[in-house]
Amino acid sequence: MSTAFSKGPLSLPRFAREERGRALGGVCSGIAAGLGVDPTLVRLTFALLALAGGAGFVAYAGAWLLLPLGSEPPHSSKRRLTGAVLLALTAVLGLRGLGLSDSVVWPAALCAGGLLLARSSDTRGARTTVGIILIGLGVILFVDRNFGEGANATLLEPSGVVIALLLVLGPWSWRLAGERDAERTVRIRAEERSEMAARVHDSVLQTLALVQREAGDPRRVAALARRQERELRAWLYPDPHAEGAGLASAIDAAAAEVEELHGVPVELVRTGDVPLDERVEALVLAAREAMANAARHSGADEISAFVDVGDQEISIYVRDRGSGFDPAVLVDGKHGIAESIRGRMARAGGAADLTSSPGGGTEVELRLPRST
Amino acid sequence: MRRRVVLVDDHDLFRAGVRSELGESVEIVGEARSVAEAVPLIRELDPEVVLLDVHLPDGGGAAVIAQVALERPGVRFLALSVSDAAEDVIGVIRAGARGYVTKSISGPELVDAVRRTADGDAVFSPRLAGFVLDAFRSGEAAVDPELDVLTAREREVLQLIARGYRYKEIAARLHLSVKTVESHVSAVLRKLQLSNRNELTRWAAQRRLI
Repeated sequence: MSTAFSKGPLSLPRFAREERGRALGGVCSGIAAGLGVDPTLVRLTFALLALAGGAGFVAYAGAWLLLPLGSEPPHSSKRRLTGAVLLALTAVLGLRGLGLSDSVVWPAALCAGGLLLARSSDTRGARTTVGIILIGLGVILFVDRNFGEGANATLLEPSGVVIALLLVLGPWSWRLAGERDAERTVRIRAEERSEMAARVHDSVLQTLALVQREAGDPRRVAALARRQERELRAWLYPDPHAEGAGLASAIDAAAAEVEELHGVPVELVRTGDVPLDERVEALVLAAREAMANAARHSGADEISAFVDVGDQEISIYVRDRGSGFDPAVLVDGKHGIAESIRGRMARAGGAADLTSSPGGGTEVELRLPRST
Repeated sequence: MRRRVVLVDDHDLFRAGVRSELGESVEIVGEARSVAEAVPLIRELDPEVVLLDVHLPDGGGAAVIAQVALERPGVRFLALSVSDAAEDVIGVIRAGARGYVTKSISGPELVDAVRRTADGDAVFSPRLAGFVLDAFRSGEAAVDPELDVLTAREREVLQLIARGYRYKEIAARLHLSVKTVESHVSAVLRKLQLSNRNELTRWAAQRRLI
């Protein structure tokens, strides 16, 4: 059934006379198949039209000339043209025979012409536009003549015709709208699926391949798994802060770098976010240095980092449970702590504290007052 | 004393891993892989602790708690997940879980968390502590200050958990007993579960929407 709607942007049905289940020439059942409605409805419509001055009979003849039988190729253009002209003429005559005044018949003819034009083109081209304009004109003309000042036509008989047409077109347009929605849903799903497939291919499958190759190196495998996990997490549970250009995303990136470089997981917890400026950037760099130090020197198998954006100040704590050392005997050569952490924090207007004891692990605490 | 535990998770591999890690220390009396399997199983076995995945195919861990908690008040739930989504974690805690740990937790730590849960204590991972601090971020004046605001001490304890301190380390640092630290954490959990503070909901909603 849906094949009838597969072509053309307007998705108008293709009509053909139906061989199976036909009563006469297969015209009614063919139109019914094209519209996706019960043939009885179409037959009823033709019967109603036939009562209107015999227009139904002539229309049937025109349609029989125009429509090909089943899957056969279309008739010669001459036969189709004759059929179309016959249809149009008989429609006009039939409607006038119904007792309709010109004020109804000509708008209807305009509409029909517009519809034919709109249908004749498979692209959203000029002809479609002209056709739609013609239909619009027809409707305006009809309303103006019949409901405007001095309208005098009796609409009893025409309304019969309108109801007959609604019987057929109503269900069809309803179903068409439904199919549009369904089609859209299917398309969106397909797009999501292909995005998912691309993501899995680019990251997960690549990582699995690497894991198999490096299976002998547990540290490397753990690092690979860790990186993959981080990427998937960021994608599956997008964090509003991580997307931004603030402290949160910068510290995420710094922690990821340290994990990559040193192969030690960083358990990062953070609350809140602030925009990056020079001072906050200095804070991030100091924190990165603290994490890298812990990864390099402590021997701990995990580093904890906590970023707390308070009302007054921003605090970052970097903690490990590694070997620790005695801060009193810290050699001056340890450039990292003296310059990269303390110096940097001091220049930014903050402070750095270090707590450590041999065997008790190390914690670096960075504080930066919030600028107002 | 070996604790009786039911394990609810839809990943066979993960259940096998937990089983082998917990093996000697706790007694896994039953396993389920969906809400539909878990509910009758927990009713029947009446375990001390349910290790509960936050995400299950036919609903979430929160759904299991909702269906079981009232008639089995003695059963305690510990949420276990790979999910980092704050609203999921807070959701399962609000439903009644006694704590939340990530699946990357080590075996001994998980055993400790199970024991703690069975004893009725709250189990906060650093990440959960971060979420809670975020959720209870000082904002406008709350309607019910008794319930809705963390005390300075509770905040301090949560910050230390977020920094990676264990309860024992927190106790030493703040010159408290471990029992006192535990009671602070339990108080936070209660506030989290009972508070109908609009801010909590709004906070979760924001994180989903933005």
